[in-house]
Amino acid sequence: MAEAITFSRRYAAPVLVVLVAGLLIAIERQALTDWVQRIHDQGWAGFWALFVGGVTLGSVYALIALGYSMVYGILKLLNFAHGDVYMIGAFAGYGMMTALGGPLDPTVPIALLIVVMFIAAMLGSGVLGVVIERVAYRPLREAPRIAPLISALGVSFFLQNSALLLFGASFRSYDTFDLGASNPGSGIPGPMFRQLFTLSTVPVRLAQVLVVVVGLALMVALTTLVQRTRLGKAMRATAYDREAAAMMGIDVDRVIASTFFIGSALAGAAGVMFGLVFSQIFHFMGFLAGLKGFTAAVVGGIGSIPGAMLGGLLVGLAETFAAGYVSGNWSDLLVFSMLIGFMLLRPSGLLGTRAIQKV
Amino acid sequence: MKRKAGLALLGVAAVAAAVAAVGTAATDGARARQTAAATTATCSKGRALSVGLAAPITGAVASLGAQQRSWARFSMQRWNAAHAKQGYKIRLVEGDTQLPNVAEAIKVANNFRSNSSILGVAGPAGSQEVQDSTSAYRAGGLAFVSGSATRTSLTDGSRAGYFFRVVPTDAKQGASVANYIRTVLKVNRVHIIDDQEAYGQGLADEVESRLKAAGVNVTRDSVAAKTSSFAGQIAKIGNDVRVVYIPWQVSADAQNFGQQLRAAGKTATIFGSDGLFDPSTFKIVGSYVSFFPVARTSAIVTAYKRSHGGNPDYFGAPTYEAVHAVAQAIQLSCADGKTSRADVRAQLRKVNFSAKSTVTGIAVKFTKNGDVTSGRFGIFRIAANGAYNPVG
Repeated sequence: MAEAITFSRRYAAPVLVVLVAGLLIAIERQALTDWVQRIHDQGWAGFWALFVGGVTLGSVYALIALGYSMVYGILKLLNFAHGDVYMIGAFAGYGMMTALGGPLDPTVPIALLIVVMFIAAMLGSGVLGVVIERVAYRPLREAPRIAPLISALGVSFFLQNSALLLFGASFRSYDTFDLGASNPGSGIPGPMFRQLFTLSTVPVRLAQVLVVVVGLALMVALTTLVQRTRLGKAMRATAYDREAAAMMGIDVDRVIASTFFIGSALAGAAGVMFGLVFSQIFHFMGFLAGLKGFTAAVVGGIGSIPGAMLGGLLVGLAETFAAGYVSGNWSDLLVFSMLIGFMLLRPSGLLGTRAIQKV
Repeated sequence: MKRKAGLALLGVAAVAAAVAAVGTAATDGARARQTAAATTATCSKGRALSVGLAAPITGAVASLGAQQRSWARFSMQRWNAAHAKQGYKIRLVEGDTQLPNVAEAIKVANNFRSNSSILGVAGPAGSQEVQDSTSAYRAGGLAFVSGSATRTSLTDGSRAGYFFRVVPTDAKQGASVANYIRTVLKVNRVHIIDDQEAYGQGLADEVESRLKAAGVNVTRDSVAAKTSSFAGQIAKIGNDVRVVYIPWQVSADAQNFGQQLRAAGKTATIFGSDGLFDPSTFKIVGSYVSFFPVARTSAIVTAYKRSHGGNPDYFGAPTYEAVHAVAQAIQLSCADGKTSRADVRAQLRKVNFSAKSTVTGIAVKFTKNGDVTSGRFGIFRIAANGAYNPVG
């Protein structure tokens, strides 16, 4: 009798899922057939177009996720202002580009312009991150965990509205299409849109490759810093046990500030990358991107650097394939369903380590 | 002991909540009575009467809201300057609706309703906003005149006497667009992407049904708000699609979409709606945009451009007429030295601006349900130099 009950409990759920799925397929058979036909019609060109778009977008999310992971690893704090630091980085890059002549008539070579934009965005965002940590989080370090979380939300809205007041409501454009073009506005793109190669007739442009390469390079640099430098060792020690690290002579405040600087600098770089690929930046772009970056961090394993990268790519691909193969209505739905699913089924993420509870 | 204390605290909290609820209801009732009583205002020297402006001053379409606010302020300045002798001034009270955040539009409507100096409203901008804030305006007895809400069903009679608009409806816009695609562009394969908002979906439905009725092959997709990567939408656009219709509200999105479309090697022509009429932002050469007409050579438009650094801000131009209509209704209702919201509503039905005198070139004279009696949408093509040339 007991065996029968155990058997039915174990297999009831999967049987129910199969029955419901079968019923749905039977009812919506024509809709499903049409859907499969639409995907078939798009062919490999459609697949590769979505893949390229997803990887590009995912690289941006990965850099945002890295910042979340780093701060969470050290402080166990979800820095919800991180998305808005990314927005400030995008504007810092835009400001530097404008100061050097703008996208249509830059006063320096394009390659140098882009490097300077990245440096400006990373430095600016890094400093902003340190200031935020000092002003909004450090005083609440010993407070209940909800306090810095609420403070983070407040900082997020503060940054968003400050950007609105300082920069205005209008969208700004990196004008990547015309960036460095010999005849801007003619419809002939500049070097950033130069086709490097094709994937089954799908053109892959310089801007897209640059974003992926820069994202990978920054991840490698960060991994090297964390694994091979004194600062990295101090960061790992502080993440493991802050009090013990302090007792060992590590300047915990300095380590935490450095973590915020590096994480925010990565977000600033992500902001410039976003502007280069998708051109437009605006004062509330950080909110949704921040949430998706957080989702990427959770999916990959919050606290894990390679996990953040993997999570970012997965979120970018999921969003793009949902829009391409189903509908634009489904892309955000799928992304945040992933967040819920991972929180319920695998909260440590794909590459995260399970937390060891001290008893 | 602790349990008793807890129960006592719960009881106190429950009583406090009940008192607060009763108090709020009583205050609301008193405020409503006060608002109803106070909406009879005197039109005396030195007295400021108010027109509310509900516009997206911040948010996703703040660039359009800024244009509407600018034209509204211009309208108010000119009105007060031209009517200085009447002794009372009309003041503009601005409310930020943050389109497409409809909750803010409702909040603005409630704020206007409880502000007894406001006798009529210009706005809101979006069709969804009009739809959802109607009950607040009706409850306050306020007439509201939109300079950009074009969804056809808004003037189905359910808002008669309260809602007016100075621009033609989507039925006319959809008809203009579908007709142009069919008879001038002569394509047989169109892809439509709406923005999941009432405005975009309504227009998309209108154009889709008209094109399908004419035998054109139409496919449909949608894009979520605040999307920056359009790879998913672009992947679905086949190489045989000649026109992509995007009835969106954010011109920067359209520009971004157009660039990504070209970068993907697709050559389909983009056709946008009036929300994308923004020469400073949407510049994809060869694209088309439908727009309510603006009398670009009129003295008022010339004066506006002169005082605004040469920027015409065409999207905001109809809001000039919306403010003008409400101000005119207030003035007419002040004939006996007193006015009220009901008087303003009654006078709005009698407003009659000739086509030659308006910035839109459309006569502002309202039907029973609040539409203008005439007006059509024009079609513009984006030239290589970024100019929007009228082509239809």
